[in-house]
Amino acid sequence: MIEINGKDIGDLTTLNYEKMKSDLLTLNMGPQHPATHGVLRVEIKTDSEIIAEATPYIGYLHRCFEKHAEKIDYRGVIPFVDRMDYLGAMGMEWGYALTVEKMLGTEVPRRAQYIRTIVGELQRIASHLLFYGVYAIDLGAFSPFLYAFDEREKVLRLFEELSGARLLYNYIWIGGVWNDITDDQLRRITKFVDNLEEEVKTYHKLVGENKIFIERTANVAVISEEMAYQYGATGPILRASGVDWDLRKKRPYGIYEELDFDVPLGKGEKGQVGDCWDRYHVRVQEINESIKILRQCLDGIEEGSIMGKVPKVLKVPEGEIYLRTECPRGELGYHLVSDGGKTPYRLKIKSSCFTHVSMLPELAPGQMIADFVATIGSIDIVLGEVDR
Amino acid sequence: MSGITPDISDFATKENLDYYDDLTFGKWLKNIGITIKSCLTGLAITGKVILTKKAVTIEYPEVREELPSNSRSRLFNDVDNCIACLQCAAACPVDCIYITATRRDKEAPKLKTDDGTPIKLDLKQYTIDTALCCYCGLCTVVCPTECLTHTTDYEFSQYTVGEMKYDYLEEDIRAWKHRIVK
Repeated sequence: MIEINGKDIGDLTTLNYEKMKSDLLTLNMGPQHPATHGVLRVEIKTDSEIIAEATPYIGYLHRCFEKHAEKIDYRGVIPFVDRMDYLGAMGMEWGYALTVEKMLGTEVPRRAQYIRTIVGELQRIASHLLFYGVYAIDLGAFSPFLYAFDEREKVLRLFEELSGARLLYNYIWIGGVWNDITDDQLRRITKFVDNLEEEVKTYHKLVGENKIFIERTANVAVISEEMAYQYGATGPILRASGVDWDLRKKRPYGIYEELDFDVPLGKGEKGQVGDCWDRYHVRVQEINESIKILRQCLDGIEEGSIMGKVPKVLKVPEGEIYLRTECPRGELGYHLVSDGGKTPYRLKIKSSCFTHVSMLPELAPGQMIADFVATIGSIDIVLGEVDR
Repeated sequence: MSGITPDISDFATKENLDYYDDLTFGKWLKNIGITIKSCLTGLAITGKVILTKKAVTIEYPEVREELPSNSRSRLFNDVDNCIACLQCAAACPVDCIYITATRRDKEAPKLKTDDGTPIKLDLKQYTIDTALCCYCGLCTVVCPTECLTHTTDYEFSQYTVGEMKYDYLEEDIRAWKHRIVK
């Protein structure tokens, strides 16, 4: 006999299970959860293991960068945009620098363009290697993480020598780049990419062709072409859904016009087009494409100055501009409004991760909780960029 | 998502749960075979790495990594060369540099920095709040006498935030010049 508050509710053996009410269980995933890749909180309603509803809550990493930018001069904004996507900071800087340069009408020297492309593609490699490592950890494999970080460390070390910092570089400046790249560093990059090409093949064999990994990712969280369009997905996620859209090809900036590379697309090799495995595979293939771009840049790099003509006191002429670039995680857009002063009048940043997070409520229902972890991992969000 | 609570039974009998319905005994055996084979492939790769690759980690307190020479770590200002031009404070995006200076007496002996710039202001206070600093390096770029530099010293954690404020006119902090600046 069981008593609660002096009331007899019967025996354990005589409990009427049929009369027990069943309901959805609300579960909070995050904000401190290793699988949410930062401070994302997802409120999940589950029926045993199956998710009925998922609502992401963002804003835990909101640092008012857009408002801050209105108070500081154009050069001082760069350390702030670094801190948005801290795993792909070169892309963030590049986009911002291009935006201001376009407003100023500055010519960027050829050598600076080449260096920007080199660091931008190295950053893409570093970012995708990190994705590869943590995605394997999300799904329960530990060694790939160590191997990927070993390679990524080489990129970070090079960036540290170039710019002085490992993650938040402040390297790409308005008009050019901060420090020149030495021949020794270029030789090291050549050696690194030669080595990486072999390593990536091994990595793909280790994770991508593993039967357990395929079972966990194929046919999970399928994003159809239509859905990708509807939500405004960009970057590897859009390409994994089979849409041939890469800003580096379609709206070339910098020296991408002169470079020859392919755009890998999701083909649904292990399941349907646009599933988690496709998103993984597109990123692995993109590392190879980046290697291809790097080789061409290393061959074609020109001598010359690394800084264009930029006035000491930056005053951007009145007007507004919207410019987007292809970052490791997707398209990044800067909407800059200037009133002719020393500081931006308004700087609105369009982040790709934000649009990708908004897909979660549609992807989650009907999934197992473990599959949901695979889903969050595969869209590869950085909460710094979501909240800004 | 719509606000309506979904019917539970919708999800319990979701089609994707019937994924294994067409699983025959032959397929089951084949799956096991593929899984074992792919796991062995993975083990072969990890085994090869164990045998061939050297350890990449270092044992930190015993072995200290030397950072590249232009690595941006703790700031140091050589106050003897500082002309109190306030350019660093103006360039700082987070406003963590506090400078006070007074006009130098006309009768006082004339001072010059190492590169020959005359010092016209007496520095009374030069404080950097390194807890607020974002290590962006913009202040070191604008410094005309190159007295403000980033050092490669990375071990400067403190117990309180107040201890992270360094007044570079203090004697013990001046001594860093010979200890941490290379």
